[in-house]
Amino acid sequence: MTRTVGPLVLAVTALWTVVTVVSQVLAEPPLSPLVTIAAGVLLTNVLILGYGSTLRGPRQPRPRAPRPPRRQERSDVLPAGLTEDAADQAVSLLLPLLGGDAVSITDHERMLAFAGPGHDHHARGSPLYAPAREEVLSSGRTLAVSGRGDDVIGCPDPGCPLRSAAIAPLRVGEQVIGSVTVYRQTDDPPRLALVEAAAGILSLHLELGELQSRERRASDAELDALRAQINPHFLFNTLNTIASRIRTDPEDARQLLVRLSDFLRHALRPWGQFAGFSQEYAFVRTYVTLEQARFGDRLNVEYDIDPAVLGVEIPVLIVQPLVENAIKHGATGKVGRTTVRLRARVDPLSRTVGVTVKDDGVGMDGPTREAVLAGEQVSDSSGVGLSNIRARLELLFGDRHRFDVRSAPTTGTTIHLEIPLR
Amino acid sequence: MSGVDSVSLVVLAIVAVFVSVVAWRRTRATTVDFFLAGRRTGMITNAAAICGDYLSAASFLGVAAAVYASGSDGLWYATGFAAGFVPVLLFVAAPLRRLGTVSLPDFLAVRFRSDRLRVAAVVAVELVILSYLVPQAVGSGLTWELLIGEGIAGLSPYATGVVVSTLAVSGIVAIGGMRGTTWNQALQFGFLLAVVIWLSALSWSGGFSYPAAVEEASAAPLQVVVGDELVTVRDRLRGGAATFGEPGGRYGPMGQLALLVTLVLGTAGLPHVMNRYFTAATGSAARMATVWVLGLAGSFYALAVMLGTAARVLIAEQADQPWLGPLTVDGVLRVPEHALLVLGRLLAGTPGLAVVSAAAFAAMVSTIGGLLLAAAASFGHDVFSRILRPHGGPRDAVVAGRVAVLVVSVLAAVAALAVEPAQLLTTFPSLIATMVTWAFALAGSALTPVLLLGIWWRGATTRGAVAGIWVGGALAVFALTVGLVSGADPADGWGAVLLAPTLVTAPVSALTIVLVSRLDADQGVVTAVWTRMHGTAEDRWAERVARATLRTRR
Amino acid sequence: MARQDPGSEDPGWLEADGPSEVVAAAKTQRRIAIGYVLVFAIAILAVPAVTVALPWWSGSRLLGGMSPSFVTVAGGLYAFFLFLGVAAARLARRVEGQMLGTSEDEGPEP
Repeated sequence: MTRTVGPLVLAVTALWTVVTVVSQVLAEPPLSPLVTIAAGVLLTNVLILGYGSTLRGPRQPRPRAPRPPRRQERSDVLPAGLTEDAADQAVSLLLPLLGGDAVSITDHERMLAFAGPGHDHHARGSPLYAPAREEVLSSGRTLAVSGRGDDVIGCPDPGCPLRSAAIAPLRVGEQVIGSVTVYRQTDDPPRLALVEAAAGILSLHLELGELQSRERRASDAELDALRAQINPHFLFNTLNTIASRIRTDPEDARQLLVRLSDFLRHALRPWGQFAGFSQEYAFVRTYVTLEQARFGDRLNVEYDIDPAVLGVEIPVLIVQPLVENAIKHGATGKVGRTTVRLRARVDPLSRTVGVTVKDDGVGMDGPTREAVLAGEQVSDSSGVGLSNIRARLELLFGDRHRFDVRSAPTTGTTIHLEIPLR
Repeated sequence: MSGVDSVSLVVLAIVAVFVSVVAWRRTRATTVDFFLAGRRTGMITNAAAICGDYLSAASFLGVAAAVYASGSDGLWYATGFAAGFVPVLLFVAAPLRRLGTVSLPDFLAVRFRSDRLRVAAVVAVELVILSYLVPQAVGSGLTWELLIGEGIAGLSPYATGVVVSTLAVSGIVAIGGMRGTTWNQALQFGFLLAVVIWLSALSWSGGFSYPAAVEEASAAPLQVVVGDELVTVRDRLRGGAATFGEPGGRYGPMGQLALLVTLVLGTAGLPHVMNRYFTAATGSAARMATVWVLGLAGSFYALAVMLGTAARVLIAEQADQPWLGPLTVDGVLRVPEHALLVLGRLLAGTPGLAVVSAAAFAAMVSTIGGLLLAAAASFGHDVFSRILRPHGGPRDAVVAGRVAVLVVSVLAAVAALAVEPAQLLTTFPSLIATMVTWAFALAGSALTPVLLLGIWWRGATTRGAVAGIWVGGALAVFALTVGLVSGADPADGWGAVLLAPTLVTAPVSALTIVLVSRLDADQGVVTAVWTRMHGTAEDRWAERVARATLRTRR
Repeated sequence: MARQDPGSEDPGWLEADGPSEVVAAAKTQRRIAIGYVLVFAIAILAVPAVTVALPWWSGSRLLGGMSPSFVTVAGGLYAFFLFLGVAAARLARRVEGQMLGTSEDEGPEP
């Protein structure tokens, strides 16, 4: 049960308790059960409707302590690559599963973890003895060996109880990065297929972990790049507008300067991937005010914001670029007045946040839309493109989000975005 | 009656004069200072002053009287009075303050940028004030009748009460202005609350139990005095005899609905209450002050209701007291408005009576003060300095305001003298509370719709607003006149709607505004007004100044 | 999150509100107010409605001699109004802080 539905569950329970007590216990004589049920159902409906209504207002944004990205919280077998700690965890998990007496994980040079009899001299960090392992590491094939002796297990300790082994490679992609070995105290080696399968699973985990950390690095880098990516045209235009007003309307120029400083502060703030909607909304407002100073009456922006949406957390630098796009595609390509509408809603029952940005500008035909979505440079498109936003949403939410672009020439463009509540 | 009573009255008069004089010395009589207390009133002081303005004789004597006379149904007056501030809080308080005008008509005129609307609003406002003043004057007449029992200079006791209270309050207002009355109002509300708490404490210490009292009062059928005889009240809901603890003693379903809507919608249109909002420090402060009002007024009404119940039981128990004889018939009061006064004497002897009377006068004085001031502000500021003498100095406006105070109070006194309480009492048990609902009906029909739509709907135009005021006001006056002349039954059915017409007239007025505005070719641009009315720029600045000041002091 | 000079005693300038953001804030405030007034209306009209519909509501006894109806009207509704008022005022103030002005002005949490 999620945290935000919990209060509703509690409230419904309390409500039925109260209704029952009032109508059945306190009332003399008790009311008919039908009355109790009718009242309970009615009030429950009111409660559920009210739960989703505006009355609850903005949720309190949680404290914005820098927290680790979500995916690290998953307790996979090898979450953080082939390290000694992770290998330790893996061998103790694998030991009872594979039908051997001992299990080890190595990289190319040395033992990373060992569990089972013989751990005294096969301990972590000890060199690799078995010549067969070198073949496995170089060829990537799975091998079984049995019998004592230098050419087989290769253990220098004469008291070693291990007599046979099956060795399988660990891969990330095409590259072999280590090995898994299962030992037995008899001459009958462990079953190759089982060991190979186990190694395969471990490899898969390693690969996933690698992929994720690479993605994370990529998206963090991308975000930093986005922050620095303030549209230079916009900055020049704004500064020009301010410069031209310093003489004619100094008060207005001062207001614009305050807004510009606020805009830069928002754009460059070093916070993580998420921020409260109110922050992003403030960013949009500052941006729009500056644009309106330039476009004057030609640009009309209407906001329609549900009070409950103000406190939810959304990915940073998503809404403002959408509005910027709408203004760019709406106002600049068109003679006359343009209206851009930003609508934000939260649906606590489906636990989604919906953001719609709509312009009545020139619109796009089918091919142009596809091109814009694919990230091709269509025209003067510095700033954050739709393809970039889409990619980041994909990264952050996988397929738990919607991103619709509806557009036709002359009717304008509508972008609807739906992301899960955090 | 006794000398003690006159002494305490004299003390009250001295206190009121003292407060006014102190305030007057601090007031430079510029327009803003005279009408708006220099716009620097603290939040809780302001909340207490709003309560002081609002809690009138109708609340103090009237609520207890309604409970006394009608039992459970009488509670709805108190509920309606308190509930009226919920729409004020939600829809009116903050925008009203933020637009930063001087009076209700001024607010509407600035919102719609029209002097034609200003005139219409002033007419409506003065009408509401006048109809609110009359029951206050009636209340002071009734109290004087009971307390002093003698007239001065050949007037009847009732007339003396009316004249004395009118003269005293209009004098205070004309001299002191709003700063005087802000402190006055806040102090007087504190006094009222203290008296109610004191009476409650006295009755509790005397072994009074609220639930047991309701039980006891409900044991026998509810009875009231008509003429010189006891009459059993008919149960409007189920037929048969009504009892104290169960609904039905006064209203059928329609009567209750009409009363409730009238009271809830009326509050937002009461000029003397709304004028207080212009003195709050910021829009949010105005909103928070309303929250305080809800708390303070709620406690006051809950206690007043309890005292009404106590009066029902205690007076019946002690009906053999010789001084009660002329006031009662078989243990039931002839005039329900006397309930609290008699209760005061039962609980604490003649000093108790004196204190309750003083509180009743305080309630009336503070409300009359607020009303007269609102009359002065809307006439002096809106009519005189904006329309008649646009180039006159602020002093002229203040003088015009003082003249308006005198004119309105004389009119109210004349109307109160023309009313014969004894006759109306048969149709309307708890007369003061009933008369006040008529003022609420006028305010809720003529002013509240235009106020709500003007604040929240950008499409409302000047023509629409003017039409709304005239239609709503005229319909309300018409309905009340027809209801009173035809002697309609105020308890249920059409009679109830005629005598508490907001249920019909407010929607009609709102509909008029919407239709006329939609058809109006002259759609004014409201951007600047809107930005001031709903924007928080000045609030934020005021808060930053306040924070900076605090930091400097530290 | 503060500006470079958080300790400054200069209250700064009057930062004007943009017309479109004020319209948006007013619209959101209106949604809030209408939502609350609906709750208020339902609650206050429910009392007479229940009185008519359920004889038990005014006939039975909760505390001593008081019926549920009497308790509600004599005290419960005042507490409800106050509760409603506090909730609405806090929400309105917070929304105002988040929809108007710069981020540093976001209303102090009550």
